[in-house]
Amino acid sequence: MRNTKAVFKKQFKDTLKNPAQLIQFIIFPLIAFVMSALIVTDFEGVPDDIAEIIAASMPTINMVTMQATVFVGMGLITVIPGIISEDMEKKSLRFLMMAGVKPVSYLLGVSGVLFFVSFFTSIAFSFISEFSGLDFWIFTGAMMSGVAASIILGGMFGILAGNQQAASGLVLPIALILGFGPMIAQFNDTVANILHVSYTQQLNVIADYLTLGGGDTPLWQSFAIMWANVAVLGVLFALIYRKKGLKR
Amino acid sequence: MISISMKNAKKSFGEKEVLKDVTFETYEGEIFGLLGPSGSGKTTIINILTKQLTVDDGESYVSVNSSEIGLMLEHDGLYSRLSCLDNLIVFEDIYGISRTQTLETLDRVGLTDAKKTIVKQLSHGMRQRLVIARAVLHNPKVLFLDEPTSALDPLTARGIYKLIGDLRDRGSTIFLTTHNMEEATNLCDRVIMLHNGTIIEQGAPKDICERYNSFKTTMDLESVFVQLTGGTAQ
Ligand SMILES: Nc1ncnc2c1ncn2[C@@H]1O[C@H](COP(=O)(O)OP(=O)(O)OP(=O)(O)O)[C@@H](O)[C@H]1O
Ligand SMILES: [Mg+2]
Repeated sequence: MRNTKAVFKKQFKDTLKNPAQLIQFIIFPLIAFVMSALIVTDFEGVPDDIAEIIAASMPTINMVTMQATVFVGMGLITVIPGIISEDMEKKSLRFLMMAGVKPVSYLLGVSGVLFFVSFFTSIAFSFISEFSGLDFWIFTGAMMSGVAASIILGGMFGILAGNQQAASGLVLPIALILGFGPMIAQFNDTVANILHVSYTQQLNVIADYLTLGGGDTPLWQSFAIMWANVAVLGVLFALIYRKKGLKR
Repeated sequence: MISISMKNAKKSFGEKEVLKDVTFETYEGEIFGLLGPSGSGKTTIINILTKQLTVDDGESYVSVNSSEIGLMLEHDGLYSRLSCLDNLIVFEDIYGISRTQTLETLDRVGLTDAKKTIVKQLSHGMRQRLVIARAVLHNPKVLFLDEPTSALDPLTARGIYKLIGDLRDRGSTIFLTTHNMEEATNLCDRVIMLHNGTIIEQGAPKDICERYNSFKTTMDLESVFVQLTGGTAQ
Protein backbone atom coordinates (compact mmCIF):
# COMPACT_ATOMS: atom_id res chain seq x y z
CA MET A 1 0.00 0.00 0.00
CA ARG A 2 2.79 2.42 0.91
CA ASN A 3 4.52 1.66 -2.36
CA THR A 4 1.34 2.07 -4.38
CA LYS A 5 0.86 5.46 -2.75
CA ALA A 6 4.45 6.45 -3.53
CA VAL A 7 3.97 5.52 -7.18
CA PHE A 8 0.61 7.29 -7.28
CA LYS A 9 2.15 10.50 -5.96
CA LYS A 10 5.03 10.34 -8.39
CA GLN A 11 2.74 9.64 -11.33
CA PHE A 12 0.29 12.36 -10.40
CA LYS A 13 3.04 14.99 -10.27
CA ASP A 14 4.53 13.66 -13.49
CA THR A 15 1.24 13.64 -15.38
CA LEU A 16 0.56 17.24 -14.36
CA LYS A 17 4.00 18.20 -15.68
CA ASN A 18 3.69 16.30 -18.92
CA PRO A 19 1.69 18.34 -21.45
CA ALA A 20 1.67 15.52 -23.99
CA GLN A 21 -0.10 13.32 -21.45
CA LEU A 22 -2.27 15.95 -19.83
CA ILE A 23 -3.69 17.07 -23.15
CA GLN A 24 -5.35 13.64 -23.59
CA PHE A 25 -7.55 14.43 -20.60
CA ILE A 26 -8.43 17.96 -21.66
CA ILE A 27 -8.66 18.04 -25.43
CA PHE A 28 -11.75 15.83 -25.91
CA PRO A 29 -14.10 17.66 -23.55
CA LEU A 30 -12.77 20.87 -25.04
CA ILE A 31 -13.59 19.77 -28.58
CA ALA A 32 -17.02 18.62 -27.41
CA PHE A 33 -17.62 21.96 -25.75
CA VAL A 34 -16.59 24.00 -28.77
CA MET A 35 -18.45 21.82 -31.26
CA SER A 36 -21.67 21.77 -29.25
CA ALA A 37 -21.50 25.54 -28.98
CA LEU A 38 -21.06 25.81 -32.74
CA ILE A 39 -23.91 23.55 -33.73
CA VAL A 40 -27.12 25.53 -34.05
CA THR A 41 -29.94 24.14 -32.01
CA ASP A 42 -31.86 27.32 -31.63
CA PHE A 43 -34.47 27.73 -34.33
CA GLU A 44 -36.14 30.81 -32.99
CA GLY A 45 -37.53 32.96 -35.73
CA VAL A 46 -37.32 30.12 -38.23
CA PRO A 47 -40.69 28.90 -39.48
CA ASP A 48 -41.67 25.56 -37.93
CA ASP A 49 -41.77 23.52 -41.12
CA ILE A 50 -38.35 24.75 -42.20
CA ALA A 51 -36.87 24.16 -38.75
CA GLU A 52 -38.14 20.59 -38.94
CA ILE A 53 -36.40 20.02 -42.25
CA ILE A 54 -33.14 21.46 -40.95
CA ALA A 55 -33.32 19.37 -37.79
CA ALA A 56 -34.00 16.21 -39.79
CA SER A 57 -31.03 16.81 -42.07
CA MET A 58 -28.61 17.50 -39.22
CA PRO A 59 -26.38 14.65 -38.09
CA THR A 60 -27.71 12.78 -35.11
CA ILE A 61 -24.23 12.49 -33.71
CA ASN A 62 -23.99 14.01 -30.29
CA MET A 63 -20.67 15.73 -29.75
CA VAL A 64 -20.34 14.69 -26.14
CA THR A 65 -21.11 11.06 -26.97
CA MET A 66 -18.57 11.09 -29.75
CA GLN A 67 -15.77 12.83 -27.89
CA ALA A 68 -16.32 10.81 -24.73
CA THR A 69 -15.99 7.63 -26.78
CA VAL A 70 -12.88 8.89 -28.52
CA PHE A 71 -11.38 9.88 -25.17
CA VAL A 72 -11.98 6.49 -23.57
CA GLY A 73 -11.26 4.38 -26.63
CA MET A 74 -8.35 6.28 -28.11
CA GLY A 75 -6.87 9.05 -25.98
CA LEU A 76 -6.71 7.21 -22.70
CA ILE A 77 -5.55 3.90 -24.15
CA THR A 78 -2.32 5.45 -25.39
CA VAL A 79 -1.42 7.01 -22.05
CA ILE A 80 -0.56 4.02 -19.90
CA PRO A 81 1.70 2.20 -22.39
CA GLY A 82 3.51 5.51 -22.76
CA ILE A 83 4.10 5.72 -19.02
CA ILE A 84 5.18 2.11 -18.58
CA SER A 85 7.51 2.09 -21.54
CA GLU A 86 9.07 5.41 -20.58
CA ASP A 87 9.73 4.12 -17.07
CA MET A 88 11.27 1.00 -18.56
CA GLU A 89 13.35 2.80 -21.13
CA LYS A 90 14.74 5.31 -18.70
CA LYS A 91 15.35 2.54 -16.15
CA SER A 92 13.44 4.37 -13.43
CA LEU A 93 11.23 1.29 -13.06
CA ARG A 94 14.34 -0.72 -12.25
CA PHE A 95 15.15 1.55 -9.33
CA LEU A 96 11.61 1.21 -8.01
CA MET A 97 11.80 -2.58 -8.17
CA MET A 98 15.21 -2.65 -6.55
CA ALA A 99 13.77 -0.57 -3.73
CA GLY A 100 11.21 -3.32 -3.20
CA VAL A 101 8.22 -2.01 -5.17
CA LYS A 102 6.27 -4.96 -6.57
CA PRO A 103 5.10 -4.73 -10.19
CA VAL A 104 1.51 -4.95 -8.95
CA SER A 105 1.98 -1.91 -6.68
CA TYR A 106 3.54 -0.03 -9.54
CA LEU A 107 0.71 -0.86 -11.95
CA LEU A 108 -1.93 -0.01 -9.36
CA GLY A 109 -0.30 3.34 -8.57
CA VAL A 110 -0.03 4.34 -12.21
CA SER A 111 -3.54 3.20 -13.13
CA GLY A 112 -4.92 4.87 -10.02
CA VAL A 113 -3.74 8.26 -11.28
CA LEU A 114 -5.26 7.73 -14.71
CA PHE A 115 -8.54 6.61 -13.17
CA PHE A 116 -8.53 9.64 -10.89
CA VAL A 117 -7.76 12.17 -13.61
CA SER A 118 -10.25 10.52 -15.99
CA PHE A 119 -12.94 11.11 -13.39
CA PHE A 120 -12.50 14.85 -13.88
CA THR A 121 -12.64 14.45 -17.63
CA SER A 122 -15.89 12.56 -17.19
CA ILE A 123 -17.26 15.34 -15.01
CA ALA A 124 -16.32 17.86 -17.68
CA PHE A 125 -18.36 15.90 -20.21
CA SER A 126 -21.29 15.75 -17.79
CA PHE A 127 -21.03 19.47 -17.32
CA ILE A 128 -21.14 20.14 -21.06
CA SER A 129 -24.13 17.82 -21.45
CA GLU A 130 -25.76 19.32 -18.39
CA PHE A 131 -26.32 15.86 -16.94
CA SER A 132 -27.68 15.93 -13.44
CA GLY A 133 -29.28 13.60 -10.92
CA LEU A 134 -29.56 10.00 -12.06
CA ASP A 135 -28.34 10.81 -15.57
CA PHE A 136 -25.12 12.13 -14.11
CA TRP A 137 -24.49 8.90 -12.21
CA ILE A 138 -25.41 6.70 -15.15
CA PHE A 139 -23.03 8.62 -17.38
CA THR A 140 -20.26 8.66 -14.78
CA GLY A 141 -20.72 4.93 -14.20
CA ALA A 142 -20.51 4.19 -17.90
CA MET A 143 -17.48 6.45 -18.36
CA MET A 144 -15.55 4.97 -15.46
CA SER A 145 -16.33 1.42 -16.58
CA GLY A 146 -14.95 2.31 -19.99
CA VAL A 147 -11.96 4.02 -18.36
CA ALA A 148 -11.24 0.86 -16.36
CA ALA A 149 -11.38 -1.29 -19.49
CA SER A 150 -9.08 1.08 -21.39
CA ILE A 151 -6.57 1.24 -18.55
CA ILE A 152 -6.36 -2.55 -18.40
CA LEU A 153 -6.07 -2.80 -22.18
CA GLY A 154 -3.44 -0.07 -22.25
CA GLY A 155 -1.56 -1.84 -19.46
CA MET A 156 -1.42 -4.96 -21.61
CA PHE A 157 0.18 -3.04 -24.44
CA GLY A 158 2.60 -1.45 -22.02
CA ILE A 159 3.75 -4.86 -20.83
CA LEU A 160 3.94 -6.26 -24.35
CA ALA A 161 5.79 -3.34 -25.90
CA GLY A 162 8.69 -2.40 -23.67
CA ASN A 163 9.54 0.77 -25.54
CA GLN A 164 7.57 3.84 -26.46
CA GLN A 165 7.72 3.40 -30.21
CA ALA A 166 6.57 -0.22 -30.18
CA ALA A 167 3.85 0.72 -27.71
CA SER A 168 2.28 3.35 -29.93
CA GLY A 169 2.60 1.05 -32.96
CA LEU A 170 0.70 -1.69 -31.16
CA VAL A 171 -1.93 0.56 -29.68
CA LEU A 172 -2.89 2.68 -32.64
CA PRO A 173 -4.98 0.23 -34.72
CA ILE A 174 -6.96 -0.97 -31.70
CA ALA A 175 -7.40 2.59 -30.46
CA LEU A 176 -8.77 3.66 -33.84
CA ILE A 177 -11.32 0.85 -33.86
CA LEU A 178 -12.41 1.47 -30.28
CA GLY A 179 -12.42 5.25 -30.59
CA PHE A 180 -14.00 5.75 -34.00
CA GLY A 181 -15.77 2.44 -34.58
CA PRO A 182 -18.93 3.49 -32.71
CA MET A 183 -19.22 6.56 -34.92
CA ILE A 184 -19.04 4.46 -38.07
CA ALA A 185 -21.51 2.04 -36.49
CA GLN A 186 -24.13 4.78 -36.59
CA PHE A 187 -24.13 4.63 -40.37
CA ASN A 188 -23.41 0.95 -40.85
CA ASP A 189 -25.40 -1.88 -39.28
CA THR A 190 -22.78 -4.55 -39.92
CA VAL A 191 -20.20 -2.53 -38.04
CA ALA A 192 -22.77 -1.88 -35.32
CA ASN A 193 -23.43 -5.60 -34.94
CA ILE A 194 -19.75 -6.46 -34.74
CA LEU A 195 -18.97 -3.69 -32.28
CA HIS A 196 -22.01 -4.48 -30.16
CA VAL A 197 -19.85 -6.52 -27.76
CA SER A 198 -17.23 -3.80 -27.32
CA TYR A 199 -17.22 -1.45 -24.36
CA THR A 200 -16.81 1.76 -26.33
CA GLN A 201 -19.83 0.91 -28.47
CA GLN A 202 -21.89 0.43 -25.30
CA LEU A 203 -20.53 3.64 -23.81
CA ASN A 204 -21.74 5.27 -26.97
CA VAL A 205 -25.15 3.61 -26.63
CA ILE A 206 -25.53 4.73 -23.02
CA ALA A 207 -24.44 8.30 -23.73
CA ASP A 208 -26.81 8.48 -26.69
CA TYR A 209 -29.60 7.10 -24.55
CA LEU A 210 -29.03 9.93 -22.08
CA THR A 211 -28.74 12.71 -24.65
CA LEU A 212 -31.02 11.62 -27.49
CA GLY A 213 -33.37 9.19 -25.78
CA GLY A 214 -33.94 5.43 -25.87
CA GLY A 215 -32.35 2.94 -28.23
CA ASP A 216 -32.72 -0.79 -28.88
CA THR A 217 -30.36 -1.91 -26.14
CA PRO A 218 -31.67 -1.73 -22.57
CA LEU A 219 -29.44 0.13 -20.17
CA TRP A 220 -28.70 -2.88 -17.97
CA GLN A 221 -27.52 -4.82 -20.99
CA SER A 222 -25.12 -2.07 -22.01
CA PHE A 223 -23.65 -2.02 -18.52
CA ALA A 224 -23.46 -5.81 -18.44
CA ILE A 225 -21.51 -5.80 -21.70
CA MET A 226 -19.12 -3.13 -20.42
CA TRP A 227 -18.43 -5.03 -17.23
CA ALA A 228 -17.98 -8.25 -19.15
CA ASN A 229 -15.36 -6.38 -21.17
CA VAL A 230 -13.59 -5.31 -17.99
CA ALA A 231 -13.66 -8.91 -16.72
CA VAL A 232 -12.39 -10.45 -19.95
CA LEU A 233 -9.65 -7.84 -20.32
CA GLY A 234 -8.72 -8.39 -16.67
CA VAL A 235 -8.26 -12.11 -17.26
CA LEU A 236 -6.30 -11.48 -20.46
CA PHE A 237 -4.14 -9.01 -18.62
CA ALA A 238 -3.43 -11.53 -15.89
CA LEU A 239 -2.43 -14.14 -18.46
CA ILE A 240 -0.10 -11.81 -20.33
CA TYR A 241 1.33 -10.49 -17.08
CA ARG A 242 2.02 -14.03 -15.90
CA LYS A 243 3.74 -14.89 -19.13
CA LYS A 244 5.73 -11.72 -19.70
CA GLY A 245 5.89 -9.98 -16.33
CA LEU A 246 7.08 -6.44 -16.13
CA LYS A 247 10.43 -6.30 -17.91
CA ARG A 248 12.66 -3.88 -16.15
CA MET B 1 31.35 -10.79 8.34
CA ILE B 2 31.13 -11.38 4.64
CA SER B 3 28.84 -8.88 3.02
CA ILE B 4 29.22 -9.58 -0.70
CA SER B 5 30.82 -12.53 -2.43
CA MET B 6 31.19 -14.38 -5.69
CA LYS B 7 32.45 -17.90 -6.06
CA ASN B 8 33.65 -19.30 -9.39
CA ALA B 9 31.14 -17.12 -11.17
CA LYS B 10 30.85 -17.51 -14.93
CA LYS B 11 28.85 -15.40 -17.35
CA SER B 12 28.68 -15.36 -21.13
CA PHE B 13 26.69 -13.27 -23.53
CA GLY B 14 26.27 -15.54 -26.53
CA GLU B 15 29.75 -16.56 -27.61
CA LYS B 16 31.40 -13.89 -25.52
CA GLU B 17 32.71 -15.19 -22.22
CA VAL B 18 32.73 -12.09 -20.05
CA LEU B 19 33.34 -13.67 -16.64
CA LYS B 20 35.39 -16.87 -16.78
CA ASP B 21 36.01 -17.59 -13.14
CA VAL B 22 35.47 -14.81 -10.64
CA THR B 23 35.88 -15.34 -6.89
CA PHE B 24 36.10 -12.64 -4.23
CA GLU B 25 34.76 -11.65 -0.84
CA THR B 26 33.86 -8.24 0.56
CA TYR B 27 33.57 -7.63 4.28
CA GLU B 28 31.13 -5.55 6.22
CA GLY B 29 32.26 -1.96 6.66
CA GLU B 30 34.82 -1.75 3.91
CA ILE B 31 35.10 0.25 0.74
CA PHE B 32 35.80 -2.26 -1.95
CA GLY B 33 36.96 -1.26 -5.43
CA LEU B 34 36.44 -3.24 -8.61
CA LEU B 35 38.99 -2.16 -11.19
CA GLY B 36 39.22 -3.25 -14.77
CA PRO B 37 39.49 -1.96 -18.29
CA SER B 38 36.42 -0.89 -20.19
CA GLY B 39 34.40 -3.91 -21.24
CA SER B 40 36.01 -6.21 -18.69
CA GLY B 41 32.70 -6.99 -16.98
CA LYS B 42 32.50 -4.61 -14.02
CA THR B 43 28.94 -3.56 -14.67
CA THR B 44 28.07 -7.18 -15.38
CA ILE B 45 29.30 -8.12 -11.88
CA ILE B 46 27.18 -5.40 -10.28
CA ASN B 47 24.19 -6.51 -12.31
CA ILE B 48 24.66 -10.09 -11.12
CA LEU B 49 25.05 -9.08 -7.48
CA THR B 50 21.92 -6.94 -7.64
CA LYS B 51 20.00 -9.80 -9.29
CA GLN B 52 19.39 -8.04 -12.56
CA LEU B 53 21.34 -10.86 -14.22
CA THR B 54 21.99 -14.44 -13.22
CA VAL B 55 25.29 -16.31 -13.32
CA ASP B 56 25.65 -19.16 -15.79
CA ASP B 57 27.59 -21.08 -13.20
CA GLY B 58 28.98 -20.43 -9.72
CA GLU B 59 27.54 -18.38 -6.88
CA SER B 60 26.82 -14.78 -6.02
CA TYR B 61 25.82 -13.58 -2.58
CA VAL B 62 24.77 -10.34 -0.90
CA SER B 63 24.05 -10.49 2.83
CA VAL B 64 21.13 -8.03 2.92
CA ASN B 65 17.80 -7.87 1.12
CA SER B 66 17.11 -5.44 -1.66
CA SER B 67 15.53 -2.71 0.46
CA GLU B 68 18.83 -2.33 2.34
CA ILE B 69 20.82 -1.89 -0.83
CA GLY B 70 21.69 1.47 -2.36
CA LEU B 71 22.35 1.67 -6.05
CA MET B 72 24.02 3.84 -8.60
CA LEU B 73 23.97 2.27 -12.04
CA GLU B 74 25.05 3.26 -15.51
CA HIS B 75 21.59 4.66 -16.22
CA ASP B 76 20.41 7.33 -13.82
CA GLY B 77 16.72 6.35 -13.93
CA LEU B 78 15.66 9.82 -12.79
CA TYR B 79 12.25 11.32 -13.54
CA SER B 80 13.26 14.08 -15.89
CA ARG B 81 10.13 16.20 -15.48
CA LEU B 82 10.23 16.18 -11.68
CA SER B 83 12.39 18.33 -9.42
CA CYS B 84 15.38 16.99 -7.49
CA LEU B 85 13.36 16.93 -4.30
CA ASP B 86 10.36 15.24 -5.93
CA ASN B 87 12.65 12.55 -7.31
CA LEU B 88 13.88 11.80 -3.81
CA ILE B 89 10.39 11.99 -2.31
CA VAL B 90 9.39 8.93 -4.34
CA PHE B 91 11.99 6.93 -2.43
CA GLU B 92 11.39 8.77 0.82
CA ASP B 93 7.82 7.43 0.58
CA ILE B 94 8.94 3.93 -0.33
CA TYR B 95 11.48 3.67 2.49
CA GLY B 96 9.26 5.54 4.93
CA ILE B 97 11.93 8.02 6.00
CA SER B 98 11.49 11.59 7.16
CA ARG B 99 11.54 14.72 5.02
CA THR B 100 14.30 16.05 7.24
CA GLN B 101 16.49 13.12 6.29
CA THR B 102 15.76 13.70 2.60
CA LEU B 103 16.69 17.37 2.85
CA GLU B 104 19.85 16.49 4.76
CA THR B 105 20.84 14.07 2.03
CA LEU B 106 20.29 16.75 -0.63
CA ASP B 107 22.48 19.01 1.45
CA ARG B 108 25.22 16.42 1.72
CA VAL B 109 25.54 16.29 -2.08
CA GLY B 110 25.32 20.08 -2.35
CA LEU B 111 21.97 20.25 -4.09
CA THR B 112 20.01 22.25 -1.52
CA ASP B 113 19.84 25.28 -3.79
CA ALA B 114 18.74 23.13 -6.70
CA LYS B 115 16.06 21.15 -4.88
CA LYS B 116 13.25 22.77 -6.87
CA THR B 117 15.10 22.50 -10.19
CA ILE B 118 13.66 19.94 -12.56
CA VAL B 119 16.04 17.17 -13.52
CA LYS B 120 15.96 18.03 -17.22
CA GLN B 121 17.67 21.31 -16.39
CA LEU B 122 20.49 19.87 -14.28
CA SER B 123 24.09 19.70 -15.43
CA HIS B 124 25.63 16.27 -15.79
CA GLY B 125 27.51 16.56 -12.52
CA MET B 126 24.39 17.70 -10.67
CA ARG B 127 22.45 14.73 -12.03
CA GLN B 128 25.17 12.44 -10.82
CA ARG B 129 25.03 13.97 -7.36
CA LEU B 130 21.29 13.50 -7.29
CA VAL B 131 21.74 9.87 -8.25
CA ILE B 132 24.17 9.45 -5.37
CA ALA B 133 21.73 11.17 -3.04
CA ARG B 134 19.06 8.68 -4.05
CA ALA B 135 21.46 5.80 -3.52
CA VAL B 136 22.39 6.80 0.04
CA LEU B 137 19.01 8.27 1.06
CA HIS B 138 18.04 5.33 3.29
CA ASN B 139 21.50 4.73 4.76
CA PRO B 140 21.84 1.41 2.94
CA LYS B 141 23.81 -1.46 4.48
CA VAL B 142 25.32 -2.24 1.11
CA LEU B 143 25.98 0.38 -1.52
CA PHE B 144 26.80 -0.40 -5.16
CA LEU B 145 28.30 2.45 -7.13
CA ASP B 146 29.08 2.03 -10.81
CA GLU B 147 31.67 4.69 -11.60
CA PRO B 148 30.39 7.21 -9.08
CA THR B 149 32.77 10.04 -9.76
CA SER B 150 33.19 9.99 -13.51
CA ALA B 151 32.28 13.43 -14.85
CA LEU B 152 32.57 15.12 -11.46
CA ASP B 153 34.87 18.02 -10.74
CA PRO B 154 37.55 17.29 -8.13
CA LEU B 155 35.83 19.30 -5.43
CA THR B 156 32.47 17.58 -5.80
CA ALA B 157 34.23 14.25 -6.08
CA ARG B 158 35.84 14.94 -2.73
CA GLY B 159 32.43 15.63 -1.24
CA ILE B 160 31.29 12.28 -2.55
CA TYR B 161 34.35 10.54 -1.06
CA LYS B 162 33.45 12.06 2.27
CA LEU B 163 29.88 10.81 1.92
CA ILE B 164 31.07 7.33 1.07
CA GLY B 165 33.55 7.42 3.95
CA ASP B 166 30.86 8.47 6.42
CA LEU B 167 28.63 5.66 5.30
CA ARG B 168 31.46 3.17 5.74
CA ASP B 169 32.14 4.51 9.22
CA ARG B 170 28.54 3.73 10.07
CA GLY B 171 29.18 0.13 9.11
CA SER B 172 27.95 0.01 5.52
CA THR B 173 29.78 -1.87 2.82
CA ILE B 174 30.57 0.08 -0.33
CA PHE B 175 31.23 -1.72 -3.57
CA LEU B 176 32.38 0.58 -6.35
CA THR B 177 33.81 0.35 -9.82
CA THR B 178 36.19 2.94 -11.14
CA HIS B 179 38.68 3.74 -13.85
CA ASN B 180 40.39 6.25 -11.65
CA MET B 181 43.36 4.59 -10.00
CA GLU B 182 44.16 7.51 -7.78
CA GLU B 183 40.62 7.42 -6.48
CA ALA B 184 40.91 3.71 -5.82
CA THR B 185 44.20 4.17 -3.97
CA ASN B 186 42.91 6.91 -1.72
CA LEU B 187 39.40 5.68 -1.16
CA CYS B 188 39.32 1.91 -1.18
CA ASP B 189 40.26 -0.39 1.67
CA ARG B 190 40.71 -3.24 -0.76
CA VAL B 191 40.50 -3.62 -4.52
CA ILE B 192 40.33 -6.40 -7.07
CA MET B 193 41.53 -6.11 -10.64
CA LEU B 194 39.47 -7.77 -13.33
CA HIS B 195 41.02 -8.68 -16.64
CA ASN B 196 40.07 -11.19 -19.33
CA GLY B 197 37.28 -12.57 -17.19
CA THR B 198 39.35 -13.37 -14.12
CA ILE B 199 40.70 -11.59 -11.04
CA ILE B 200 44.34 -10.89 -11.67
CA GLU B 201 45.23 -9.11 -8.45
CA GLN B 202 43.64 -8.24 -5.14
CA GLY B 203 44.38 -6.66 -1.78
CA ALA B 204 44.85 -3.27 -0.18
CA PRO B 205 46.06 -0.73 -2.77
CA LYS B 206 49.24 -0.06 -0.77
CA ASP B 207 50.05 -3.75 -0.45
CA ILE B 208 49.52 -4.31 -4.14
CA CYS B 209 51.83 -1.47 -5.03
CA GLU B 210 54.49 -2.72 -2.64
CA ARG B 211 54.36 -6.16 -4.17
CA TYR B 212 55.35 -4.67 -7.49
CA ASN B 213 57.87 -2.20 -6.20
CA SER B 214 61.27 -3.03 -7.46
CA PHE B 215 64.72 -2.04 -6.65
CA LYS B 216 64.48 1.08 -8.76
CA THR B 217 60.84 2.05 -9.08
CA THR B 218 58.03 2.80 -6.69
CA MET B 219 54.84 1.60 -8.30
CA ASP B 220 51.49 3.26 -8.04
CA LEU B 221 48.28 1.38 -8.69
CA GLU B 222 48.02 2.67 -12.21
CA SER B 223 51.45 1.35 -13.19
CA VAL B 224 50.65 -2.01 -11.66
CA PHE B 225 47.38 -2.05 -13.55
CA VAL B 226 49.01 -1.16 -16.84
CA GLN B 227 51.74 -3.73 -16.29
CA LEU B 228 49.29 -6.51 -15.49
CA THR B 229 46.87 -5.82 -18.30
CA GLY B 230 49.64 -5.34 -20.82
CA GLY B 231 48.48 -1.79 -21.35
CA THR B 232 45.75 -2.84 -23.70
CA ALA B 233 42.03 -2.49 -23.30
CA GLN B 234 39.91 -5.29 -24.71
N1 LIG C 1 23.17 -7.63 -22.12
C1 LIG C 1 24.30 -7.85 -22.79
N2 LIG C 1 24.26 -8.54 -23.95
C2 LIG C 1 25.38 -8.80 -24.64
N3 LIG C 1 26.61 -8.42 -24.26
C3 LIG C 1 26.73 -7.74 -23.13
C4 LIG C 1 25.58 -7.42 -22.33
N4 LIG C 1 25.98 -6.74 -21.24
C5 LIG C 1 27.33 -6.64 -21.35
N5 LIG C 1 27.78 -7.24 -22.48
C6 LIG C 1 29.17 -7.35 -22.89
O1 LIG C 1 29.90 -7.79 -21.78
C7 LIG C 1 31.18 -7.14 -21.72
C8 LIG C 1 31.33 -6.50 -20.35
O2 LIG C 1 30.42 -5.42 -20.22
P1 LIG C 1 30.36 -4.52 -18.93
O3 LIG C 1 29.33 -3.50 -19.17
O4 LIG C 1 30.21 -5.40 -17.75
O5 LIG C 1 31.80 -3.86 -18.92
P2 LIG C 1 32.38 -2.75 -17.93
O6 LIG C 1 33.60 -3.33 -17.30
O7 LIG C 1 31.35 -2.25 -17.04
O8 LIG C 1 32.83 -1.62 -18.95
P3 LIG C 1 32.87 -0.03 -18.75
O9 LIG C 1 34.07 0.27 -17.91
O10 LIG C 1 33.04 0.49 -20.13
O11 LIG C 1 31.59 0.37 -18.11
C9 LIG C 1 31.22 -6.16 -22.86
O12 LIG C 1 31.96 -6.76 -23.91
C10 LIG C 1 29.79 -6.03 -23.28
O13 LIG C 1 29.70 -5.83 -24.66
MG1 LIG D 1 30.39 -0.40 -16.84
